[in-house]
Amino acid sequence: MLARLRKPWTDRRAERTLGAVACLTALAIVLMVVFVAQRAWPTFSHDGLSWLGSGGSLDNQIGSMQSTSATPPASAYFLRAWPLIYGTILTAGFAVFFGLAISLLTAIFIVDFAPPPLARLMTPVIRLLASVPSVVYGLIGVLVLVPFVGNHLISAGEKESVVNVIQLTGAGLLVSVVILTVMITPIMTALITDALASVPRSWHEGAVALGLNPLRATLAVSIRAIRPAIIAAAGLATARAIGEAIMLSMVSGGKAFAPNFADGPIVLFEPLRTVAAEIVEQVDGLSAPALRSSIYAFAALLLFSGFMLSLASHLARLPLRKYELSS
Amino acid sequence: MAAYEPQSSPVLVVPPHRRGRRSSLRSWRRRDQLIYLLAWSAGIALCLIAAAIVVFLAAQGLRYLDPKLLVTSPSASVDQSHSGGILDPIEGTLTLAVLGTLIATPIAVATAVWVIEYGRPRWLARIVETSIELIAGTPDIVIAIFGLAVFQLGILAPFSFRSSAGGVYGRSFLAAGIMVSLVALPLTYTATRNGLRAIPRHLREASYALGKTRITTIRRVLLPSLRADIATGATLGLGRIIGSTAIVVVLLGATLQNSPENGVPLLGFLRGTGSTLPSYILNNSPAGEGNAPQKAYAAAFVLMLMILALNWVVGRISRAGAAAGLYAGRVAR
Amino acid sequence: MRRSRRLIAPLAVTAALVIVPALAYAATTTISMSGATASFPLITLLTAKYTKLKHGSVKFKVSQGGATVGIQEAAAGKVDIGDSSRPPQSSDPKGLEFYPIAKYFVCVVTNPANPISNLSAAQVLAIFSGKVRNWSQVSGATATGPIDVYTRTSVAGVLTTFQNTLLGGAKVSSVATQEASEGLMQNSVKKDPSAIGFLSDYFALAKGVNAVGYNGVGCNVANVVSSTYPGFSDFYEVTRGNASGQVEVFINWIQHSPVAKKIIETSWIPLNP
Repeated sequence: MLARLRKPWTDRRAERTLGAVACLTALAIVLMVVFVAQRAWPTFSHDGLSWLGSGGSLDNQIGSMQSTSATPPASAYFLRAWPLIYGTILTAGFAVFFGLAISLLTAIFIVDFAPPPLARLMTPVIRLLASVPSVVYGLIGVLVLVPFVGNHLISAGEKESVVNVIQLTGAGLLVSVVILTVMITPIMTALITDALASVPRSWHEGAVALGLNPLRATLAVSIRAIRPAIIAAAGLATARAIGEAIMLSMVSGGKAFAPNFADGPIVLFEPLRTVAAEIVEQVDGLSAPALRSSIYAFAALLLFSGFMLSLASHLARLPLRKYELSS
Repeated sequence: MAAYEPQSSPVLVVPPHRRGRRSSLRSWRRRDQLIYLLAWSAGIALCLIAAAIVVFLAAQGLRYLDPKLLVTSPSASVDQSHSGGILDPIEGTLTLAVLGTLIATPIAVATAVWVIEYGRPRWLARIVETSIELIAGTPDIVIAIFGLAVFQLGILAPFSFRSSAGGVYGRSFLAAGIMVSLVALPLTYTATRNGLRAIPRHLREASYALGKTRITTIRRVLLPSLRADIATGATLGLGRIIGSTAIVVVLLGATLQNSPENGVPLLGFLRGTGSTLPSYILNNSPAGEGNAPQKAYAAAFVLMLMILALNWVVGRISRAGAAAGLYAGRVAR
Repeated sequence: MRRSRRLIAPLAVTAALVIVPALAYAATTTISMSGATASFPLITLLTAKYTKLKHGSVKFKVSQGGATVGIQEAAAGKVDIGDSSRPPQSSDPKGLEFYPIAKYFVCVVTNPANPISNLSAAQVLAIFSGKVRNWSQVSGATATGPIDVYTRTSVAGVLTTFQNTLLGGAKVSSVATQEASEGLMQNSVKKDPSAIGFLSDYFALAKGVNAVGYNGVGCNVANVVSSTYPGFSDFYEVTRGNASGQVEVFINWIQHSPVAKKIIETSWIPLNP
C-alpha cells in the first residue's frame, strides 16, 4: 500500500484530499456555531430574547449565577445584559466613526498630498500600528492613560456629583474609545489607501481638467469609486471593535455600568463594560451552569453580530458592484 | 466579511508627477483648505502616535530589561515584582508560534489551492470561502471559549489533562495551538489565494500542454512560485499568533511557569500548561496580579521586537515588497 | 523491502524514547486545584514544598478564580481540590467535604497616604454600606474628597468573611468597585489615595497598604490568636465526597505535618498551635 501512495497522485485523489482539507474550515465554523448555540440554549430558553434588555444590576445577576449547584432553579438564569450591549455599541460606534474619518483623511493624505518620501514612510508606520498586540495597547492605556485621566482630568467636584451612583477612577469611556480608535484606524487606512491608490489616475486627471481642484477631484471621483472598499473596511473595523476583549477589559472600568449621557461631560469618565470584555472577566467561572450559559449566550451574540456584519457588508456592496474597478 | 482585495497586485502608487500645489492652494475654497489641513493632521498624527508608542516602549523596555531576565524563569509566587524573569513566557510564545503556524499553513495552502485550482462543486467553494471570511471576522475570545468547550470533551482528554475526579482540564499548549491556528488561517489563505490568482494562465496551460496532470502542475509549477506568498501569509499569521492574548488566557492554563504533563518529553510539554509573553504582560499589568509593571514593560519590549522583526521579514519577502504588508492587515488581538 | 528495513532502527529508537517516559508517567500523579485568591500564596508554598518532599512524584496544577469558583469546580469534578476561604454555605452544591487547613484574618485597608489607625464598627459599616461617602465625615482621615470603596466580586470567600465578621452581616454597597482577586484589590488600594478596601492578612500586612484597626483592636496575628480581633475565618480544602488517594495524603500532610505548620506560620495562623 505504501508503494501505491508513493506513485504520483491522480487528479481525482488529489482533488478529494484537498477538498477534504478545505472542508475542515467549513467544519470549524459549523462546529463553532453548534457548540456555542448548544451551551447558550438554557439562557435563551429561560429568558427568551428579553435577556438583551435592561433591568437590574448586571453585576449582581452574574454574581448570583456563580453560586449555583449543578441543577440551578429557573430564577438563577435571570439576565438583563443591556448595559453590556450598550457599552459595546458606544465604544465600537464612536471608534468606527472617528476611525473612518481619520482613515479617509489619511488615505487622501498619503495618495494625494504627501511628498513621496513621507508617503513611503507611512507604509511602515501603518503596518507598525496595525501589528501592535492589543495587550500592549492595554498596557499603555492602563499604565499611562488611565492614571492621567484619573488624576488630571477628573476633578473632585465631578466625582462628588455622581458619588451615589458610580465611582470615577479614570478607566472609562474616554480612554476606551481613544485606544480602540487607534487600534482600528490602521486597518481601515491600509485598505482604503490601497483602494484609493488603485483608482486609475486618468479619472482624477479628467476631473481636474474639468476645473476641479485636486482635493475636490479626489472626493468627487476617487472616493466615490472606492465606496465598496470603504464599506468593507468599515465592516472589518466594526467587527474588530466589537470583538476586542483584552484591551477593553484593562481600560474600560470595573463595573457593568451603562454610561449616562444625562450626566453631561462626566459621561466620558464613567466606567462601562462590553460584551467581549465581560466574557474575559467571567471565563474562570464556567463551571456554574447558569453562568456558563450566560457567557455562551454572549458569545453567540458576538458570533451572530459578526455574521450579520459580514452579510450587511456584502449586501451593501452589491449595488455598488457596477462601479467596482475592473481588473 | 471580505478583506478588500484589489483586483491586481497591491502596489502603493506614489504618483510621479509634480504638483504646483503651493500656488494653487490659496485659490481653494475655505472648506477645501480645511480638509487639506485635516488630511495633513491625520497623517502626521498617525506618524506621531506610532513614534510615541515605539519611543515609549523602547524607553521603558530598555530601562527595565535586564539581559538576565531573558534567561530566568518567572518566580513561583504570585508577586513577580522582586524576582523572576521571562524565559518561560518566551519559550511559550515560540512554542505556540511554531505549533500554530505548522497547523495553519498546510491547511491554508491546501484550501487555497483547492478553491482556485479545483473548486467544484461551486457551492462548496463558495461555502469554503465564506467560512474563511467568517473565521477571520470571529473575535478571538469566541474562538477561545469555543476551544474550551471542545477540548473539555472527554474524548479529547489526551490533548490536555484529566483530573482524578473525571473532569477534563481542557487547557494546554495543544489546545491553544490548535485554536490559535484558526486565527492565522485566513491570513495565510488570503495571501496564497492572491498569489495563485496572480500567476498567469499561460504557465498552467504550458504545463498541461506538456501532458502533466493538474496535481503535478500544482506541485511542480505553481507551488514553487508561490513560496514568497506562502511565506508572507505564514509570517503575517505568525505575527497575529504571537500577539494573541485572549486565546492564551483562556486555553493555556495561566500558570506562570511552563509546567509540562508527565510522559513523553515533547508531548508532555505540549499537553501541559504555561504562559506566553502576552499573558505574562497581562498578568503583570495592573489588570493582573503580578504587580510588576516593570516586568510587563520589559516583556512588552521583547514582544514588540519580535513583531517588528516579523514585519521587516514580511516587507522583504512579500511579492510586492513593502506595500503588501499594508493590505493584508488583520492584526493580533 | 529494502526501504522498510532502513526504518527499523529509527523506529526502535523512537519507541524506546516513548515507552520509557510513559512507564515513568504511570508512576506520577497530578493534583489539580483551583479557588480562593486569598489562600493562593499559601497553597503555592505548600505545593512547592510537598512536590520537593515527594521527589516530583506528585505534581500540582493550581489556578485561582475565587472561593466559590473553586467549590463549583470541585463539585463538578473539574479539579481534584477546591480552595475555599469561607465555610460551606447553603447555596453550595451538595456532597462536598470541607477540610480546614489554616486560619486567616481580614483587615480594612487604606492607601498609605491616608494612614487611619482605627475605625469603629459603626464607621466601617457606614463607609462600606454607602451611607458615608466623603472622607471629611470620617475622623482621623487625612484624605479629602469622595471615598473610593473597593470590594471583591461575589465569588470571593474573603468578601463573605468580611461581611459576616466586620459588617455584622450587612452587604457592601453596590456603588463600590469590584475587584476580582486579592492582588487586584491590593493594587487598587495602593494606587488610589482616596481608596478603602479589605484584604486578607498576607496581602494587607507590610505590603504597601495601611491596615486599619477595628474598634480599637489592631489587625495583626497576636490579636487574632487572643480572639480580640473578630475578623477571621479558615481556609478550607474542598473535595467531592471524602478525599481519597494522593489527595487525602496531601490534605493530611497539610493538617498534621510540622513542616506544613511551619509554612503556615510564616503569614497565617495554624489551626493546632
